[in-house]
Amino acid sequence: MSWVRWAIAFVVLAALPFFLGNYYNDVYRKLLLWVALALGYNFLFGISGQVAFSHFAFYGVGAYSIVIFLFQLQLPFALAVLAGVVLCVAVALAVALPTTRLEGFYLALATLALGQLFIVVLNEGGAVTGGNGGLANYRLPPVFGVHVSGPWYTGVIVSVLLGTMALLWRLDHSWFGRACRAVRDNPEAAAAMGINVARTKVIAFTLTSALAGGAGMAYAFVDNTVNPPIFGLENAFLLLFMVIVGGAGRHAGAVIGAAFLFLLPFVLSPLIGHHHVLVFGVLMVAAIVLQPRGLIGLYDELRRRIA
Amino acid sequence: MQDFLELAVSAAASGCIYGLVALAYLLMIRPTGIINFAVGEWAMLGAFGGFLLLTQLEWPYPLGMAAVVAAMLVVGWATERIAVRPLVERGAPVIAPILALLGMLVVFREIVSLSFDPDPHPVPYAFEIQNQSAFIVAVALLVFAAAWLFFERTLAGKTFEAVALHRRAAALMGINLSRVTALSFAAGAAVAGLAGLLVAPNVSAHYLMGVPLAIQGFTALVIGGVGRVEGALLGGLLLAFAEQLTARYAPIPSGYTQGVPLLFLMIFLLVRPTGLLRARS
Repeated sequence: MSWVRWAIAFVVLAALPFFLGNYYNDVYRKLLLWVALALGYNFLFGISGQVAFSHFAFYGVGAYSIVIFLFQLQLPFALAVLAGVVLCVAVALAVALPTTRLEGFYLALATLALGQLFIVVLNEGGAVTGGNGGLANYRLPPVFGVHVSGPWYTGVIVSVLLGTMALLWRLDHSWFGRACRAVRDNPEAAAAMGINVARTKVIAFTLTSALAGGAGMAYAFVDNTVNPPIFGLENAFLLLFMVIVGGAGRHAGAVIGAAFLFLLPFVLSPLIGHHHVLVFGVLMVAAIVLQPRGLIGLYDELRRRIA
Repeated sequence: MQDFLELAVSAAASGCIYGLVALAYLLMIRPTGIINFAVGEWAMLGAFGGFLLLTQLEWPYPLGMAAVVAAMLVVGWATERIAVRPLVERGAPVIAPILALLGMLVVFREIVSLSFDPDPHPVPYAFEIQNQSAFIVAVALLVFAAAWLFFERTLAGKTFEAVALHRRAAALMGINLSRVTALSFAAGAAVAGLAGLLVAPNVSAHYLMGVPLAIQGFTALVIGGVGRVEGALLGGLLLAFAEQLTARYAPIPSGYTQGVPLLFLMIFLLVRPTGLLRARS
């Protein structure tokens, strides 16, 4: 996509919150963050073929680290962001280096355990992580002398989303994206073509984990509170469901899946209360068994029939 | 010394639970290559079966236990029918049923969380509190002996092995692949449900008990190796002892013992990815 289109997308998405009330602005911000997460997870799972459950934990690492670095270690803003990214990269490397060298689903398991351990660390972290209650009562400090709040902050989230999208889009259309798809489809053939399979996997995992961390940093100032239940495995599963229901391996699929599953509870809750997670599970099974290409595949089929 | 003996008994009991969960994984991985993370949820279903039959309906223990195992056989068979067979028949990659089973995991958990209130539900001991550990160990040993005999001494067990070695060749030799798959899921669910029923008196039936068990069971499997049935038990025992020793003697907050499986997993993946016991050639 050209720069003009990205600029138009930014203006439209960033202008929208000025016409929304407080409540819908909040919903809109969370929708944008879910879409950013789903895009990153789609690159990891759909395009690189790595089954990991740690994506949401890295979102949490980002959110917690920015709050801790800013308000407990009193680091300047730019340094706190940098330190948060470095932390995400370090944790991602620690998980990815040993597990991606092995075949099978060891990464899935290691990241499942990492997700559980992250929640334990948050709960047991004492004053540093705030324990069960998490951290609250902080406000985004002035960034380079500017106070950002309300719909303006939504603009920050829009830039995080579009930055994620642009980066992943370019990567997907580069040598690296093709290497990732080759590794997903046939690691032996990819290796025979001169692709370093383990390194490709490690880079994809680390990069998408750092992107999740970045989205988490933006999230930390959405509710102005971070607490353990948000970053649990529930949401890690939901992210996987979003990508699969939307159509794994396609950027548009990730966007549609994230928007669909994020907005579904708002539609369903008047009908069935808080039982929408059961619907998510059923949709997940139905998608894999009946429609493996997801909603985006359904859309393709529809368009083909009309044409 | 008294202290250590108590620890050893309780570690042996939880080691047997992990071993049973690992065996449930193994029963399905061996013939199909499918890692079913929903085993933890099956264990949870077993625990709630115990609550329903033994606590609420006050059935005698052996009858309730038999009913739970029978019901779990059906659950496992139904799971295979819904989330595995259509994909295997379509020739989908092995990741597809694994993901579909993750969906089933959520479906099981949500059905239970809708049907029961979120408090822990008590499940009675088989005899008395002090005998529960011995009972767990005895049942686990029986199940492992049966699984070992099945794989090593029966024709049906050999068909599992044949399918594990080479699916196509096994099919050409007249082995019914879909029957082996269905059987492995039914047996896996029964073993997992039994583990849940056995552990439930100590931890109470709770709808969130599944995932930790699934992680501990898989870690036990990685430690022991998928090649041999005994490996699952050995891995479970090693993991449980490591956990309990850490909890008792290491100067860290008790919650961090949940990190022990992760640590073990990482070490074994790095140093010995085939597990402690190698498959017999």
